[in-house]
Amino acid sequence: MLGAARQFFAERNVLEVDCCALSPFAAIDVNIDVISADVSPNMRGYLHTSPEYAMKRLLAAGSGDIYFLGHVFRQGEIGRLHNPEFTMAEWYRVGMSFETMIEETAEFIQLFLGKLPVKQLSYRKAFELFAGVNYTSDDLFAAARRHQLQPDPAWSRSTLQHFLLTHVIEPKLGNQELTVLTDYPPNEAALARIVEKDNEPVAERFEIYFRGVELCNGYHELPDGHELRRRFTADNLERVQAGKPAYALDEAFLGALGPHFPDCCGVSVGIDRLLLLRHKRSSLNEVLPFSWPQIC
Amino acid sequence: MSASTNEIRVGMKVEVDKEPYTIINNEFVKPGKGQAFNRIKMKNMINGRMVERTYKSGEKLDLADVEEMQMRFLYKDADSATFMDDKTFDQVTISKDLIGPIEHWLMEEILYAVILYKGQPIEVAPPTFLEMTITETSPGVRGDTSGRVLKAATTETGAKIQIPIFIDEGEKVKVDTRTGEYVSRVNE
Repeated sequence: MLGAARQFFAERNVLEVDCCALSPFAAIDVNIDVISADVSPNMRGYLHTSPEYAMKRLLAAGSGDIYFLGHVFRQGEIGRLHNPEFTMAEWYRVGMSFETMIEETAEFIQLFLGKLPVKQLSYRKAFELFAGVNYTSDDLFAAARRHQLQPDPAWSRSTLQHFLLTHVIEPKLGNQELTVLTDYPPNEAALARIVEKDNEPVAERFEIYFRGVELCNGYHELPDGHELRRRFTADNLERVQAGKPAYALDEAFLGALGPHFPDCCGVSVGIDRLLLLRHKRSSLNEVLPFSWPQIC
Repeated sequence: MSASTNEIRVGMKVEVDKEPYTIINNEFVKPGKGQAFNRIKMKNMINGRMVERTYKSGEKLDLADVEEMQMRFLYKDADSATFMDDKTFDQVTISKDLIGPIEHWLMEEILYAVILYKGQPIEVAPPTFLEMTITETSPGVRGDTSGRVLKAATTETGAKIQIPIFIDEGEKVKVDTRTGEYVSRVNE
């Protein structure tokens, strides 16, 4: 699989890059916790959760199309579909449109899962179709109860949104085909651009699902360091409110998102999950020779 | 006492809405960029009902004050059975409601697992195997000793079981209390 992935990129003239796995700065995301390491008795480092920040610095320096194929790390993620160390293919295409990037990502996935049909679905439409709700205006707690679920009344709207997504919607995505979920809500933009579509701001972000398994996450990349600083600060605030540590901002990375940063799309694909689906297994520890023990 | 969702293992006993539950399964669910959850399946220890609850990962669940004691069966009357702790000689009387499903496995002098929740018995489990005397069955048939041909029998505890046709009244047999199946003849 690794050989086929490298060949896929070689055919498209995408350059392989090797990024540092250990960085003085942690990636900032409300819901991703970083594994830290003692670099020296008084210096802390963080294992990368994706090579995104480093690759974007290379893009700003004029690298052109690049890909990374290697291991990334996330704290506390152990389960049927999670291992704290996993293999990621992440690539960036300069000047490529959002739609073409989706097509290319589907082609990459098809390399391993076969020629499956591809269907696009907006985040809004997925909530309407599978959960029967307008996710911006309906009562999401009541909606979850209608699906015989027991949400906690104390949960925020955004938690309920993720609850419905994971418990009701995701299991129904990609049963016969690759389902591409697009047009994410602006508060789920992460590092994607926000555009106006059908009189509504949506993030140019996509994920592809097969048999209910999330396989990738892609963006039309936000080129604006100021906007990203605002999002990171908001993320850090939310982390502190949730009782998690806030992380220092990586100024070298934010500085790269300026006039020198090219218009590009990027995506990361979970290789272990492709392996899982390719072999029709249900748990990563069935396909990984070295995985962390699951609790149940 | 409490435990975080990532410490919850199969078989642990937790307390939810003031009732004790046994953990059946704990699944970690998380969208790449979203909130992590633990979907936990559990069985109510009092009424046996299965429920599924979802918690944000890292939330804490209260552990149930549940303990298991080995207690010796002493006697039963119309609506209860009495057991004794060998070490303290404390006796507990348990109502027929709880004993019901295992009443026909109660034998004097045998140790039973009594599950206590907040000091109150909620379940009594017999040993997996019990040796008991056949009190009622049709006469034994010599010849067929394969053990594959069975007949109905009643034991000294009142249990209705199936035994091989060569066994007579008054003989002792070993029975699996999980299935009520005959295991072997006991020669004394």
